[in-house]
Amino acid sequence: MTTTIPLKYRIPWKKIVVYIAAVLFALYLVLPFYWIVAMSFMHEVDAISLPPQWIPQDPTVENYASFVNPEGLQALVGSRAVEETPYALGNSMIVATLTALLNLVLGVFAAYSFSRIRFRGSQALMMLYLLTRMVPGIAIIIPFYLVMRELDLLDTYLALILSYTTFALPVTIWVLKDFFRAVPRELEDAARVDRCGWFRTMWTVVLPISAPGLVAAAVFSFMTAWNEFMFALFLTSTTASKTMPVIAANFATDLNTQFTVMAASGVLAVLPPLVLVLIFQRLIVQGMAAGSVKG
Amino acid sequence: MLRKEAAARRQPWSDTARGYALNVPALLAILLLVAYPIGYSFWVSLHRDNLAQPALRRFIWFDNYLGLFSDQAFLRSLWVSALFVVLVVTVTVLLGLSMALVLNETFMGRGVLRSLVLLPWAMPGVVNGLMWRTVFDAKTGALNGLLLQLGLIDSYQAWLTSTTGAFVFTAMAQVWNTLPFVVIVLLAGLSTIPGELYAAATVDRAGVFQRFREVTLPWLMHPLLIVLILETMNAFRAFDTIYVLTGGGPGDTTTTVALLTVQRVLTFTDVGLGSAYAWVITLITLVISVGYVSLLYRRGSFEV
Repeated sequence: MTTTIPLKYRIPWKKIVVYIAAVLFALYLVLPFYWIVAMSFMHEVDAISLPPQWIPQDPTVENYASFVNPEGLQALVGSRAVEETPYALGNSMIVATLTALLNLVLGVFAAYSFSRIRFRGSQALMMLYLLTRMVPGIAIIIPFYLVMRELDLLDTYLALILSYTTFALPVTIWVLKDFFRAVPRELEDAARVDRCGWFRTMWTVVLPISAPGLVAAAVFSFMTAWNEFMFALFLTSTTASKTMPVIAANFATDLNTQFTVMAASGVLAVLPPLVLVLIFQRLIVQGMAAGSVKG
Repeated sequence: MLRKEAAARRQPWSDTARGYALNVPALLAILLLVAYPIGYSFWVSLHRDNLAQPALRRFIWFDNYLGLFSDQAFLRSLWVSALFVVLVVTVTVLLGLSMALVLNETFMGRGVLRSLVLLPWAMPGVVNGLMWRTVFDAKTGALNGLLLQLGLIDSYQAWLTSTTGAFVFTAMAQVWNTLPFVVIVLLAGLSTIPGELYAAATVDRAGVFQRFREVTLPWLMHPLLIVLILETMNAFRAFDTIYVLTGGGPGDTTTTVALLTVQRVLTFTDVGLGSAYAWVITLITLVISVGYVSLLYRRGSFEV
C-alpha cells in the first residue's frame, strides 16, 4: 500500500498462512471426491485392503462395465440396482431436460413482465414467487403423492417434472428477470416502431440477446431436477421413472452392495451436474451471489 | 414518444392488465403445484388417515396436532433437528467465512481454488451421502486409513455406529455439501469492501484482528445474515445426505423431522399424522423465511 522500501527482511506471515490455508481447503474439497472416483476404478478386494490404496494399484473399469453387462458381476445380491442404472441415467436425463424446458416456457413471460412493465402489485408478485421457493418440499410431498396416486400418474415422468417445477420456477423467474433488464430498451423501441407486437419483440429481440440468461436458468432447473431425491423416492417405483439419485440410494441402503460398484454409480450420478458447473461456472457464481439459488 | 403516449391514453389500464396476463402461466403453475397441495395437506392433516386402512378414515379436527405434544418420537426428532441445525450452520458459516477470506487474497492458484469450491455444489445430496459413507466406513473407510497412517488411531473405528459419532459425522457431511453457497455469497460481500478502508486501518496501525473486527465484519453483516437464514432453513430440511448416510440411525440419533415425516408416510403409510408433521415444518420454515424476505426488503433488493 505504501511505497517505502522495507529496511529489513520480514517474514511474510500473511502469505504463508494464506498458502497453507489454501492447500488445506483444496484438499478438503477434493479428497473425498477423489476417494470415490479412485474406488470406482478398484477391484472390491483392493478397496478394502489395509492400508488403503490411495492410488489404485490395479485399476479396472469392471465396475462401470457391470452396468452394461450385469451378469459379469460376481455378487448377485443387490444386482437389481446395477441392472437399473442405465435406465435411471436415461430417466434422469429426460426428466431434467424437460423440467428445464417447461420452466423456461412458464417463466419467460413472468420474467418479461417484471423487467419491462411497471404494474401495481409487481413487487408483491415477485415476493410471492420468492416465498414459493421457501416452501419445504416435505410440505407438499404428501398431497402431491396422494393426487398423483389418484390420477394414476405415479411412476411417470410427468409427476416428477411437475413436482420439480415447484422448486425451479421461482428461481427461473428471478434469474431471467435480471437478464431481461439488462437488454437496452432502445432495441425494443426500434422493434416497436417497426410495428412488432410485444410477443414478436420479445421473441426476436429480447430472447436472443439474453440467451446467456436462458442458459443459466435452464442449467439451474436441470440441476435441481437431476439432484432431487425426496420426490423421486415417493413418486417412482420401477425403471419406468426411477432417477439416478433413487438408484444411488438403493445401492447405499442395500447391505450387500459392493462398495466399488456403488462408488461407480455415484460418479455417474455426479458427472452431468459437474460438467455443467465446469462449463457455466461464471453464470452460476453470478446467479448464486445475486440471490439464493440453492435456498 | 408521441406514439407511446397515445397508446397509453387509449388503454390506461393496459400495463397492469398486461403484467398480470404475462404472469398467468407461472401463477397457474404455482397455484396448482404449490398452493393447492399445501391447502390439501392441511385438510389431510385434520384426518386420521392411514393408506393401509382406508376404512378407518375419519375427520378428527386438530387431534393429530394435539397429539404432537406427547409424541415422543416427534419431539425427539425436533430436538435432533435443532441440534443438527446449530452444528451444521455454525461449522458451515465459520468454515465458509475463512474460505472466503482466503479466496479474497491474491495468491497463485486462486482461480483453481475458486473452481474447486463449486465441486460440492454439483454433488447431488444422495451421492454426497454415499461418498461420505465410503469415507467414514468401518472397513474400507478412507478416514480410518488416513488417521491410522498418520498414527492418530491404533485401529479402525466404526465412526457411524456410535451415537455422537454418527451425529457429528452426518453433520460434517452436510457441511461439505452446503459450503459453496456460503463461500460464494460471502466472497461477493467481501469484494464490495473498498480497499481504502483497509489502507486507512493499516495507517492507523490496526492489527489483523482489529481490521477484521472494525472493517470486514460490519461490511459483511448483511451477507452473513442472509447466509445464516438460508443455511438454517437448508439444514432444517436436510434429508438426502442423512437418509443415505445413516438412515436416521443408530437408534434415532440422526432422525430429523424431515426423516421422521418421510418414515411416517413411506413406511407406516400414515398420511394424516405425516401431514401434521409436515405442517409444523412448514410453519417453522415460514417464520424463518418471513425474516429473510423482510431483510431483503429493507435492503431494497426488491425494487422493480
